Amino acid sequence: MSALRSLNTSDLSVQRTNDDAQVSKLSCVNKGYFRDDYIRYFVRRASRRSPLINRGYFSRVLALRQLLQDFHAHLTSKGAETIQVLSLGAGFDTSFFNLQAPGPSGVRWFEVDFKEVTRRKAAIIAASEPLRKLLGPQDRHRIHPDEGRIVAEAYSLLPGDLRDTKACQATLEAAGFDPACPTYVLAECVLVYMEPEDSASVVRWLGQWLRTAAFVVYEQIRPHDAFGKQMISNLEARGCPLKGISATKDTASHIRRFTDNGWERADAKDMSTIYRVHLDASEKRRTESLEIFDEFEEWHMIQDHYCIVVAVNDGSGKLKDFGLFRGQQKGVTAPSVQGVSLPIAG
Amino acid sequence: MPATARPENPYASLDAQIEQLKKCQPLPESDVKALCDKARDILINESNVQPVKCPVTVCGDIHGQFQDLLELFRIGGNSPETNYLFMGDYVDRGYHSVETVSLLVALKVRYRERITILRGNHESRQITQVYGFYDECLRKYGNANVWKLFTDLFDYLPLTALIENQVFCLHGGLSPTLDTLDHIRALDRVQEVPHEGPMCDLLWSDPDDRCGWGISPRGAGYTFGQDISEQFNHNNGLGLIARAHQLVMDGYNWTHEQNAVTVFSAPNYCYRCGNMAAIMEVDEQMNKSFLQFEPAPRRGEPEVTRRTPDYFL
Repeated sequence: MSALRSLNTSDLSVQRTNDDAQVSKLSCVNKGYFRDDYIRYFVRRASRRSPLINRGYFSRVLALRQLLQDFHAHLTSKGAETIQVLSLGAGFDTSFFNLQAPGPSGVRWFEVDFKEVTRRKAAIIAASEPLRKLLGPQDRHRIHPDEGRIVAEAYSLLPGDLRDTKACQATLEAAGFDPACPTYVLAECVLVYMEPEDSASVVRWLGQWLRTAAFVVYEQIRPHDAFGKQMISNLEARGCPLKGISATKDTASHIRRFTDNGWERADAKDMSTIYRVHLDASEKRRTESLEIFDEFEEWHMIQDHYCIVVAVNDGSGKLKDFGLFRGQQKGVTAPSVQGVSLPIAG
Repeated sequence: MPATARPENPYASLDAQIEQLKKCQPLPESDVKALCDKARDILINESNVQPVKCPVTVCGDIHGQFQDLLELFRIGGNSPETNYLFMGDYVDRGYHSVETVSLLVALKVRYRERITILRGNHESRQITQVYGFYDECLRKYGNANVWKLFTDLFDYLPLTALIENQVFCLHGGLSPTLDTLDHIRALDRVQEVPHEGPMCDLLWSDPDDRCGWGISPRGAGYTFGQDISEQFNHNNGLGLIARAHQLVMDGYNWTHEQNAVTVFSAPNYCYRCGNMAAIMEVDEQMNKSFLQFEPAPRRGEPEVTRRTPDYFL
């Protein structure tokens, strides 16, 4: 999303690409693919996307919501009271607000992104009453748009450059992040924009720091076939080159990046497989009838070029059965995509 | 007529329109209307199985990739010097559906014996509202009149063509309700593409590795196996089914043990897929050969305003 096309590109192209994902998600929401009552505050001009893009974002959102719910369910069943989410390069992601809307979720949410992004996000939140209300009582949260920082009970928005992991750790500690608390780390299209040394150092830092944690990555793979080469050149042309993709060109190298850098185990699957095998059948049926869909060859191609990786550190033994859609066959119920409904106690 | 008098070119204004379109400049609405009126009068007299003579060059999906259509003419030869048979899907997806379909219709009106244009599944009111042609018309003309003119014309496009009684050409594929060419000839085609039934199948079906008829994942048309293609060719004395409709990375793809071939003529489809395009030349002896081509440089589009296709970012 945004953490990434940092300093070498102009602010304008940073903003344009950062906003692109939100516009696409709003397009999905408007078509009924999934529910997100807060995305509209972060989109200046809505635009309709093609059914292919809608279905792709839907599959990503459904898969990631399902994983977070799965992670949470495993831990609460083992007696954990709170979990943390650490969202790297979060951009304008609205998950926290959707999660918080039905009532306090018991999740402590931390977002880190470049200051130019967090300042815009803080300003939008400050200006939008429905978002501000979800931060909790007014006397117990502070919004600092100039610093690009929000500190609330359950939500922290923090400026940081992921290439400086020491500084990021200090920022997180100052905001009350607890490395002993079970943590779900999320990086959606973030690491792939960094130089491989820099992303490996993020993986190593969190692998060493967090004892009970999952690290979930969603990003591009397979840069060497015809579609992949075109993807590389198109993304370069829009000012966000995939600097890291040669080091993580397939699911195997994604797994290795984690197991070589302090994580106990990791698993990865491409999005074609995840859509076909793991996503909730009734949700697929529902959304497949929302729009005429005539992009099948391309659909398989583009989904082949994205993957989800889940790495686990299980210092407490509570994540023994948690993994990338592990145990799904055993009947873990799919989350409602109508809303984000973690069955989380207050 | 006195020897000194120069005969007026009765096609002067049409020729001027074609020249304008080749520069990727849309025609005014009034010209589009006149063009569609003339085209309808021609198409209404064509058969559902329009006979075509060889030599002819057979082309698949174009999808508004106008610069690539010009590249196709550079590779395959200009119209009318080269005879062409286009198998549908002129609009949607690419950025220049208006110019693409205008040029092909203008060429049809100017050289009706030299170019055949069939209907694809995107030549429909419903699908063009989802995949771009409708929006492009609104953007370029400020209203939907041109979209209406063209989609009304699409109803008259022939569904299939037959080269020298040997090569059967269509956009999608076969239908379980159409065993013979006469069945196809008997269809009443002048209507919006229906959601199901024989006419829909011709525009939506795909060949498949599995035998027999199958349910199409597209939600329209069927999949058909090699046994179906062989039977159809045998029943109708045909040598080959040529069709488009599916992206194939080399631009063409033989299937069903050479009973069918897919031709796809939009290189780097949607500016995203990295595929080659191809056209199929059928010569005087009915020999088939394929010409592959890559995307044209995107002339006339300044670097800065060039849109890149969407990804998940």
